[in-house]
Amino acid sequence: MKIDFSLVTRRTFLNTLFGGWLVAFMGGSLYGLLKFAFPTLGKEPDFVILKPDDFLNIPANSVKPFAWGGKLGLFFKHSNGNTTALKGVCTHMECNIAYIPQDKKFYCACHKGWFDENGKNIEGPPPKPLEIFDVTIEGDKLIVAKKGIKVELPKA
Amino acid sequence: MNCPRLKSWFLERYNFDEIRDLAKQKLVPIHKYEIWYLTGGITLFLFIIQFITGMVLSFYYIPYFEHAHKSIIEIVTKLNMGWFFRSLHHWGAQIAIVVLFIHVWSCLLLKAYRKPREFLWFSGFILLGISIFFGLSGYLLLWDERAFAAVRVATGGAGNLPVVGEFIKAFLRGGIDVTGDTLTRFYAFHVSVLPLVTILLIGFHILLVQYHGMSVPLSVKKEECKETPFFPNLLYKDLIIWLVVLGIVVTLATLVPPEIGKKADPLAPAPENIKPEWYFLFLFQTLKLFPGEILGMNGETIAILLITAGILFFFLIPFFDRKSQRGEKSTLFTWIGVIYFLYFVIMTVIGFVS
Amino acid sequence: MKRMLTALIGMFISAADVFAQQDKIDVFPAVPYDRFIVYQNLIIFWAGIIGLIVIIKMKLREIERTQKLGIDKEEKDIPVLD
Repeated sequence: MKIDFSLVTRRTFLNTLFGGWLVAFMGGSLYGLLKFAFPTLGKEPDFVILKPDDFLNIPANSVKPFAWGGKLGLFFKHSNGNTTALKGVCTHMECNIAYIPQDKKFYCACHKGWFDENGKNIEGPPPKPLEIFDVTIEGDKLIVAKKGIKVELPKA
Repeated sequence: MNCPRLKSWFLERYNFDEIRDLAKQKLVPIHKYEIWYLTGGITLFLFIIQFITGMVLSFYYIPYFEHAHKSIIEIVTKLNMGWFFRSLHHWGAQIAIVVLFIHVWSCLLLKAYRKPREFLWFSGFILLGISIFFGLSGYLLLWDERAFAAVRVATGGAGNLPVVGEFIKAFLRGGIDVTGDTLTRFYAFHVSVLPLVTILLIGFHILLVQYHGMSVPLSVKKEECKETPFFPNLLYKDLIIWLVVLGIVVTLATLVPPEIGKKADPLAPAPENIKPEWYFLFLFQTLKLFPGEILGMNGETIAILLITAGILFFFLIPFFDRKSQRGEKSTLFTWIGVIYFLYFVIMTVIGFVS
Repeated sequence: MKRMLTALIGMFISAADVFAQQDKIDVFPAVPYDRFIVYQNLIIFWAGIIGLIVIIKMKLREIERTQKLGIDKEEKDIPVLD
């Protein structure tokens, strides 16, 4: 069925076409620009590889820091000689925590939060326990991995 | 988009109708040279592209000589489309300088510098110098062998200027030789000093264009010219040519990305066949023309003096061209403009192939 | 999203390659899959630009047509409907 008059004016048609196309074009270009401007780096790693000699011989009841992506990781030797690794980041507001050997507890200075030697939050504002990592030794490598991650080393 | 309530909210506070009427009054003459009117706008557009790509690149570039080179490699290899934006910044710069030269020469040959537009010419000339310095400072930020040697040559050349040469050389280099201090200094120029000065000068330049209107060449009879409104007719034409230029720059950036050489070593000898960036070639080719000694005086100093005189004459041309000041045809200065242009092109080509 | 990830992985491969060889730095994705994505995007980009230019030319033609007829100016003090 043919109608005698147009439903939109020439001006509306042209302006809509122009505006729509311009938005699509600028949007696409802006998308590329923003993808570049906003960093995608900064994800936490699934695992890190450390040198065993640097960490296994630390004295009992002490910690040694290592890099977990951009964050703090702590390699911890209990007073009974057992070793674990955990993320040295407070679960409250992400400040770095410290180990107090005398109290055998982890302490966060920002809001006075305390964790016991198993990472459980015992005092202060932290809502959750500390994140504990899996530690395995493969040959000459000390592998610290997120719990549950299956580590597949690339064939060097 | 028709939002009457939003429009009336603004109209109750600001008198847009007055601004709109003022804008509609801007008229541009039509004649056979009107295409050259677009060159200024294209240069501005390319500079805006440079500002935007430069700003995002500065998020990742590290201006310390130890890390500069590596930070660029990281941008190019590790970041999402990093290679593209670096390439876009590089090609944007090259094309911007080409279009800038076209703009300068069209104004020279069409005598847009004559009365009453002298200050447009002067501010434009300063902008030309600033743009070239943008190019030089940006090139050093690569901190690879070629860039390092090229900047050494360029700042050394500046040092040969009479009287002020040594001061300028020390000021640019931040010391006796090109060092990490030079990199920091050039970064400061490239990223903050030059952009601010450029924005102020371009603002002044464009303001004067609005004040004086577009210059009509002497060979065209101004009274017989028809005029079209700038909004929207010429704005559309501007947009079309800007889109074409954007397409060209993006295509070049995609298909011919720039290389990056090995990291610069201040103690290493200069690499083979070192040349400054192409827009300096005509200067260095000129220097090569002069023999070591002329009549007992240092040949290079004489060359520098002649070049300085040539540039000064170029700068002060509105005062030398008396005939065009009076509104008469000035064929002598048209020829002078043509000679400047041909000299630049021929010297650049020779510098390129030798 | 998947394409971007694959492109990123390709770039990581070439980056790792760089630090293995240290001589020529890839300033353009070397993996053919990424190259073709780049070329395709270039073509889409040009299609966008040419479309915009065509539309702007249409607008220019329309405004020149109305200006020639002299009907492009809004009447001053025209009564408003609301």
